[in-house]
Amino acid sequence: MSIVKCNHCHLEFNPNVMIKDGNLNFCCKGCQGVYHILKDDGLDSFYDKLGNKTIAPPLEVSNDDLSKFDSKNFLDNYSSTTKEGFTQIDLIIEGIHCAACVWLNEKILYETKGIVEANINFTSNKARIVWDSDKLKLSEIILKIRSIGYNAYAYDSSVADAQASKAKRDYFIRMMVAVIASMNIMMLSVAKYTGFFTGISEEVKNMIHIGEFILSTPVLFYSGWIFFKGGYYGLKNRMVNMDFLVASGSTLTYTYSMFILFGAKGESYFDSVSMIITFVLVGKYLEVIGKKSAVDTLDKIKSSLPLEAVVIQDDTKKVVALNSIKLDDVIEIKAGDKVPVDGIISKGEGFFDESTLTGESIPVYKKIGDSVFSGTINSNSLIEYKVTKDFKNSTFSSIVTLLEDSLNSKPKIQTQAAQISRYFSLTILSLALSTFLVWYFLGLDLGFNYAGANHFEKSFIVAISVIVIACPCALALATPMASLVGISELAKKGLLFKEAKFIESLAVANKVVFDKTGTLTKGELNVVKMRVLDDNIHKLNLLYSILCASTHPVSISIKNYLKEKYALTEKKLDNVKNIEAKGMSAAYTNIEGKTFELLGGNLELLKQNDIHYKFDSNKTVYLFAINKKVIATFELEDEIKDNAKDLIEFLQNKNIEVIMLTGDNENVASNIAKQLGIKSYLSYQTPISKAQYVKELRKQDNVVVMVGDGVNDSVALSSADVAIAMGNSADVALAISDVVLLNSSLKSLKDAFLISMKTYKFIKQNLAISLIYNTVTIPLAMAGLVIPLFAALSMSLSSLIVVLNSLRIKMK
Amino acid sequence: MINDTLFFMLIVGIIISAGMLLIFVWAARSGQFDDSSKMVNGLLFDSTEDLNDAINKEKNLKEAKSEKLKSEVEKLKEE
Repeated sequence: MSIVKCNHCHLEFNPNVMIKDGNLNFCCKGCQGVYHILKDDGLDSFYDKLGNKTIAPPLEVSNDDLSKFDSKNFLDNYSSTTKEGFTQIDLIIEGIHCAACVWLNEKILYETKGIVEANINFTSNKARIVWDSDKLKLSEIILKIRSIGYNAYAYDSSVADAQASKAKRDYFIRMMVAVIASMNIMMLSVAKYTGFFTGISEEVKNMIHIGEFILSTPVLFYSGWIFFKGGYYGLKNRMVNMDFLVASGSTLTYTYSMFILFGAKGESYFDSVSMIITFVLVGKYLEVIGKKSAVDTLDKIKSSLPLEAVVIQDDTKKVVALNSIKLDDVIEIKAGDKVPVDGIISKGEGFFDESTLTGESIPVYKKIGDSVFSGTINSNSLIEYKVTKDFKNSTFSSIVTLLEDSLNSKPKIQTQAAQISRYFSLTILSLALSTFLVWYFLGLDLGFNYAGANHFEKSFIVAISVIVIACPCALALATPMASLVGISELAKKGLLFKEAKFIESLAVANKVVFDKTGTLTKGELNVVKMRVLDDNIHKLNLLYSILCASTHPVSISIKNYLKEKYALTEKKLDNVKNIEAKGMSAAYTNIEGKTFELLGGNLELLKQNDIHYKFDSNKTVYLFAINKKVIATFELEDEIKDNAKDLIEFLQNKNIEVIMLTGDNENVASNIAKQLGIKSYLSYQTPISKAQYVKELRKQDNVVVMVGDGVNDSVALSSADVAIAMGNSADVALAISDVVLLNSSLKSLKDAFLISMKTYKFIKQNLAISLIYNTVTIPLAMAGLVIPLFAALSMSLSSLIVVLNSLRIKMK
Repeated sequence: MINDTLFFMLIVGIIISAGMLLIFVWAARSGQFDDSSKMVNGLLFDSTEDLNDAINKEKNLKEAKSEKLKSEVEKLKEE
């Protein structure tokens, strides 16, 4: 059987299910509608731009909420007025998959009369729209976007976002200036260093120095400004930080090179100045990008909450903005709605999808008196509930607030290399200072002669040469070089480290905290045991039919399991009833007119129907009965991931304590922990209690690694030393994490530990090499005995050794 | 003589690259590099139609601004 592509979304389907429209095939009404709109508006070049890519079929959105976009309340909250008198709003566009989608949305907006500016950011899916409110209503703009199969949400564009964007742009320009200038300096350096071997005239060498001077000046004072600022604030807080050392080291080297440029004898090191600043700046830029994308995902999450809620007051319904909901208000939510604020159900009962909070995919049944939490989804019924917490203090909002806070106060990891280099650099600075004082006041002269320099200058040059020879070069390269090789090795195994420093933290970690669902287990129920007491195919067909009538994860899982084992057909059932939290009942009438009573569900359902069936199991159970006789039993369980046991054993052998936190119940938690050999676990954990646990561990001076995958883990992830997320995690978890396991496999997590430990060993080796080198050369420099050529060569040599040593990480 | 030429070329080279850098800084400041994914894909949209669209966008923006200004002025006059 061949498959056919849908003409709009390019997804492939069986030809039987397609809607035929002339020569065209569509997978759904939505695709067909959008295709014709584009054709009529002359926008069909969208399909050329789309090429072979596929997009998601258009979202089905009802348009009855459009009026809220024009309410004064809404516009006051979300839009602003530009200085020209236009109205401006920030939206998040849902459904953007490719550049062609961005093009299409911008195009259709620009062709709408009254829209002045429509700029969609492809990376963050945020759009800024400026329009003339006299000519066009916001609802018309939203309708336009919806008509081509996308949807738009308003979001509160936060201060954090504006700051992050500004910082990103600023760092980008500074970094590019440094990179471009450094590249040019490197080209000049090639000429200079070749001159050492082939001979070079003083005049040409001076020319190169002038060129290097011109190029390195903006690098030090424009790009390096960040380090001056950082160092200044550090000193203000009585701290000598890395920024201060980069700034002072490069400024001194720069000054020394200036002396050389203006006639003193020796080698200039403008190239080292710009290289150090460029390398460190690139690292900082990556941090800034990471922060910006985290802010973007947080905005996306915030926009996923409804903007308003229906409040019932004295039998009348009123639409109210979330901020103005008061305690004890009664709120009504329809099926499929997100719960806007926390509360207690006062009317109705039904299933709630709490996966954002607990990580469990199975909906939770709730009745009158149970509490509901914001951010969860009401799956199937009309519910009224009493508000117990206002918007700001509700579960979902407090998670978002916690995450925002953690972005600004991400635990500072003091890596060992940073610590060593701090003491080292302080030592060097004081050595240089004392060298200067000794030379200047004691008038020491060991016979080394700087042409044309007076006594002060001479002492100064010797002092600086101490710093230059002890140049942070090898030391500064010790960690980054090894980390760089380590990171590329890790990337080959599908491990994405966002910053190099996490390699070291991972290598020295002594506690690893795991989330259960989705991390240690697969996060989906699978049939582990089936017993069929009567395998008459007609009876199994009835079982299959009752399974098909339900959308509960248990039914779906059993259905898929049965489909693989038997050839089954669906029969028409009558009187299908969904019994909340228990199962389903239905009736079937065969050709002879005989009626069968069908029951499918858990033990309680059978008990309710007077079937007393003995069945002992600590797993999820599904039973099927025809006319009160049990036909088949199933046991389901969330399966443990491959290699999980292996990983836990490995960690415990390395004396790393493993802890499991789960939102699931005690029974399941203890069962999984026993299977994996995990000694400590905590059940019934909320997102916030998980985070508190991690923070508590960190307070006791542990280096904590948190491994998780869901929105519910994100707060805990953000408070750990190293946050590791599975590749298929929720957006926030990915944005907040430091390491991503692209293939979500636990085997690569083991690799992450192994390679990090190996890399850390090499970092320590590199540090040792550069320290030994320095203890030999610094006394020489202090004595003023360093010959310029030797200084230049040995500096390159020490760096080279560090680089070559780091490359050994690649070797088995 | 050779050294003079060398020096001249060095300075000219630095001036040219400084010019390029300034253009880059201007572009970055005006927000053209804010969206990395869009920037990369921008290369694909360079047909005549797309270029005309870009010009029209600028023109419409200018027109809308002057129109708005006029209507504001009229509003003020009425008052």
